[in-house]
Amino acid sequence: MKREEIIRKFSEIPDGINIVHGHWHILISPPLTLWKISFFDYPENYCREFIVIDLRMRFPFFGEEFEFEVPRKFRYLSVYVYDRDRPNKNDRVLGKVAIKREDLHAFHNKDHWFPIRPITLDSEVQGKIHLNVNFDRNRIDDCGECLRVEIFEACDLTMVNTSCDPFVEVTVKFTNGKQETHRTKVKKKTNCPTFSEEFIFSLQRENDKHFRMNPADEVEWSELLVTMYHEVSSNNVVFIGEVKISLLGPQQQIHAATNAWYYLQPRKKRVTLRAPVSTLSSAVMDENCIGTLRLKIQYFVDHILSSDKYFNFRDLILRSPNVQPITSSAVYLLGEIIPCKADVAHCLVRVLLQHNQFVSTIRSLAVWEISKVTDTNTIFRGNTLVSKLMDDAMRFVGHQYLHETLRPSIERIVTEHKPCEIDPSRVKDKAVIHQNLCNLKSYVEDIFKAITSSALHCPSVMCQLFHDLKEIAICIFPDNKEIRYSVISGFIFLRFFAPAILGPKLFGLTTEQIDTQTHRTLTLISKTIQSLGNVVCAKTQSCKEEYMSSMYQTFYNETHVTAVRQFLEIISATSVPVHSKSDKPVTLKEGILIKRTQNTSRFRKNRFKQRYFKITTESLSYSKHKGKETICQIPLKDILSVERVTYESFKRSNMLQVIQPAKVLYIQANNCVEEKEWLDLLTRMCSSSDRHVAFYHPGAFIKGMWICCKARFQQSMGCERVTRKSNGIHNSDIDIDRELSRLHTLTFNHMDKIENVLHACKCQAAYTKEKHLLPTSVIEDCTSMMTTLHSLRTSSYALEQEQRTVLRTIARETKYGSKQAPIGDDNYLLMAGRLETVTLRKQF
Amino acid sequence: MSLVGNEGDITRYRLVVVGDGGVGKSAITIQYFQKLFVTNYDPTIEDSYIQHAVIDGELCILDVLDTAGQEEYSAMREQYMRSGDGFLIVYSVTDTQSFAHVIDFYNQVLRVQDAESFPVLLVANKVDLLHSRKISEEKGKEIASQLGVEYIETSAKEPPLNIDTAFHQIVRIIRSHPVTRGIQQRQRQQHRHRQKFRNMLRCVLS
Repeated sequence: MKREEIIRKFSEIPDGINIVHGHWHILISPPLTLWKISFFDYPENYCREFIVIDLRMRFPFFGEEFEFEVPRKFRYLSVYVYDRDRPNKNDRVLGKVAIKREDLHAFHNKDHWFPIRPITLDSEVQGKIHLNVNFDRNRIDDCGECLRVEIFEACDLTMVNTSCDPFVEVTVKFTNGKQETHRTKVKKKTNCPTFSEEFIFSLQRENDKHFRMNPADEVEWSELLVTMYHEVSSNNVVFIGEVKISLLGPQQQIHAATNAWYYLQPRKKRVTLRAPVSTLSSAVMDENCIGTLRLKIQYFVDHILSSDKYFNFRDLILRSPNVQPITSSAVYLLGEIIPCKADVAHCLVRVLLQHNQFVSTIRSLAVWEISKVTDTNTIFRGNTLVSKLMDDAMRFVGHQYLHETLRPSIERIVTEHKPCEIDPSRVKDKAVIHQNLCNLKSYVEDIFKAITSSALHCPSVMCQLFHDLKEIAICIFPDNKEIRYSVISGFIFLRFFAPAILGPKLFGLTTEQIDTQTHRTLTLISKTIQSLGNVVCAKTQSCKEEYMSSMYQTFYNETHVTAVRQFLEIISATSVPVHSKSDKPVTLKEGILIKRTQNTSRFRKNRFKQRYFKITTESLSYSKHKGKETICQIPLKDILSVERVTYESFKRSNMLQVIQPAKVLYIQANNCVEEKEWLDLLTRMCSSSDRHVAFYHPGAFIKGMWICCKARFQQSMGCERVTRKSNGIHNSDIDIDRELSRLHTLTFNHMDKIENVLHACKCQAAYTKEKHLLPTSVIEDCTSMMTTLHSLRTSSYALEQEQRTVLRTIARETKYGSKQAPIGDDNYLLMAGRLETVTLRKQF
Repeated sequence: MSLVGNEGDITRYRLVVVGDGGVGKSAITIQYFQKLFVTNYDPTIEDSYIQHAVIDGELCILDVLDTAGQEEYSAMREQYMRSGDGFLIVYSVTDTQSFAHVIDFYNQVLRVQDAESFPVLLVANKVDLLHSRKISEEKGKEIASQLGVEYIETSAKEPPLNIDTAFHQIVRIIRSHPVTRGIQQRQRQQHRHRQKFRNMLRCVLS
């Protein structure tokens, strides 16, 4: 692969931010009821909002998880705290937590208390500006100097109440306290204005040389101040950012005289985010803050090389199922070396699934794990590598299956909102228990039916896995009659359905807010379902909480037990059941988008309207609001292609076009993250249709002309080839190189552990009698284990080397002050600095 | 606010039993409350039990929450960890993995409670299984002293060993633990912040 291509791939991949268990505590307790938090990062105000708890609690607890991909060029990750005035549905912002991109690494995977600071004009500054500054010394003979300031353009400016009419004020300050100010024209309705104006400032020195004896009287340049304002009305302007350039002394002046991009900065002193706090008490000490928020953030930056570079590493992983003993395989060792098994499992599952090695890997690992089990009761009940891999694989492969099965029931429970509390110690009036029990029974029955009748829809990979696990378990424990069920129910019920019922938001089963009562209902249902799934392997009846016994009495009967038994048998059948398409379309994504009217009449005033869009497995449709009747429905087979639209077409960013046989639907997403999600999903869904176009127009047809190619005929053929995904439909959501690169990073970060295990191996090889074990790992066969470890180490170092070379090239090619790395961007300095100092510890 | 609550004159202690899956959390809890040993294994999602008890001559209510050990449920953990007054961290002496996770549980408790120390009792369960024991008493005590918590060995199987003692001991630890000061301080700070916020509001409104 050519170098440019590598670099392209490098920069295109967005960063991933995963805010896990966003548990935050807010100290202030205003007399209001709801909190809302939105995420925001700089290039294009990406917000994802959610309303959180009711409760006038002093320590509200959110416990939500968000995962999203963001473009690499962002400055801050901000979490806004709102409060909602319920009757009016007015949200008022209280404050925000802002974390600089370069600081995110420090918080990766850690809980932290962050101070919430009030929102001011200065905290909202964003965007950058392109300036050219130079001194003209020779113009007026000896006694004066000229300073030329050219204002070219600016981009990504803050929107004030969704409008932005920016202008720039250029001020030069002199050492004697005087200053001179000029301003540009106001550019209407744009946050990416082009000014192209030049201002000349002159410094008049005293002509009379006699008076220049005293240097204090001498006038010199002091400072250049470029301020960006938004004009609300002719006498009302709002500050949206500034750039300060010091001009004191020749050294600074040389520095200042460049043609460069600058980040706009807030006024006064910048808010220091440098001193993060880890405990609540220290956060409170921060004078400026109005509360604190506890967040756990996972921030991933993937640097991905071309596929061939990963060959060795990948090969090592894929060979795992055939390695004997399994404890010497790369998969097992990676699970041992990296402390966070969930991270490893995530990557391994995708890599192995892509290459059809997953089932055999699980098989090999399971044989080993089961052979270690002493008590058949607790088989696969702990947290082991197999359970983690299975869990991740079930969530990944069974995502659609889960939605098909549980979504209708969960939606019913959330909307009906019936009380189901049956614990006498938790209700005030004992009389309601009877009604609550009825409600609960109906819900459980509903979900139970949905699950047990879904056996035929279970994905074939999962069936294959269950089949293998069952066989192994029966083979090792031939006398245990229940094990054929317990081994499967321990995964499908305990680790798949029950957690999904308990936390439907985490599984994307609902977007509604789960309140305390619904949460309790879901807990009770989840408990009953889990017990029911387990009933086929229980020898005696469960006798846990007393109040649950009436529930169990209803459900522990022959019909239900048979249903569970049948369900478990079918999903682990030897012959893989045919995956029959369900009749009902499944909703994949829904949300508000802005669409341009498809009506071509010229006299419509507002051509852009908000609509509630929904994409299902069959069609793309929209309605006025959520839950309202559909206005328009486009079958997926009628969608020829989905492409981006250039900014110039409508002066709107994040526009997409849905190309249909006769017309084009233009839609606008709220932000770049949403745009990418919709684009990816639509492209994937319509790529299965057999009708395609080869060319399209990246621009729009405006005023009798295609903006992009200037063709005057509306039906003229497109001027650009449509983008095609090279991967097949099925696996297009796995980026295997990306998973491998993550796995490599994990491996490389735990190189010391590899060295430790290697050392232990050596010791054991030398003194065969002496056991030299690590806390949890087992050394079965030294020689093969050492071979695998050596190969892991070698390929990891090789990849690291490759990655650094590319990074260094990028750093060298990016100029400080260019649009990519504006002056004021600490990330650039950090990256360049890091690459200079770090050298590889060992070279292979 | 998680506080030792008063109901009339009787103090209520919210205890939470945590630990890896299959280590015997429910067995311990059911043995204490129902005085019987459950032979079949039915993984718990979340069960709660309430009982009056007299500990050191003082009547109190024990409100015990038995939790899920599987990591699939870890998203729910924080929620109940916030409400606990004391924790029993259980591991099985036959399972090295469960022992390794003790530190994670302990750290999570401290983080959620935002405290430097918190009433925690380390419970080494299944000590009746002498043959398959992998974690010795010394190892258990070592980690307990490293974390600064008390250690106890239990067995829920008949005849039960140290089950009542474990629950009574955690109550004694809570009683002797100096937590009240921290909470008072926190409330004062909240008050200050509320004042600050009201002033802000006033500024905005006027």
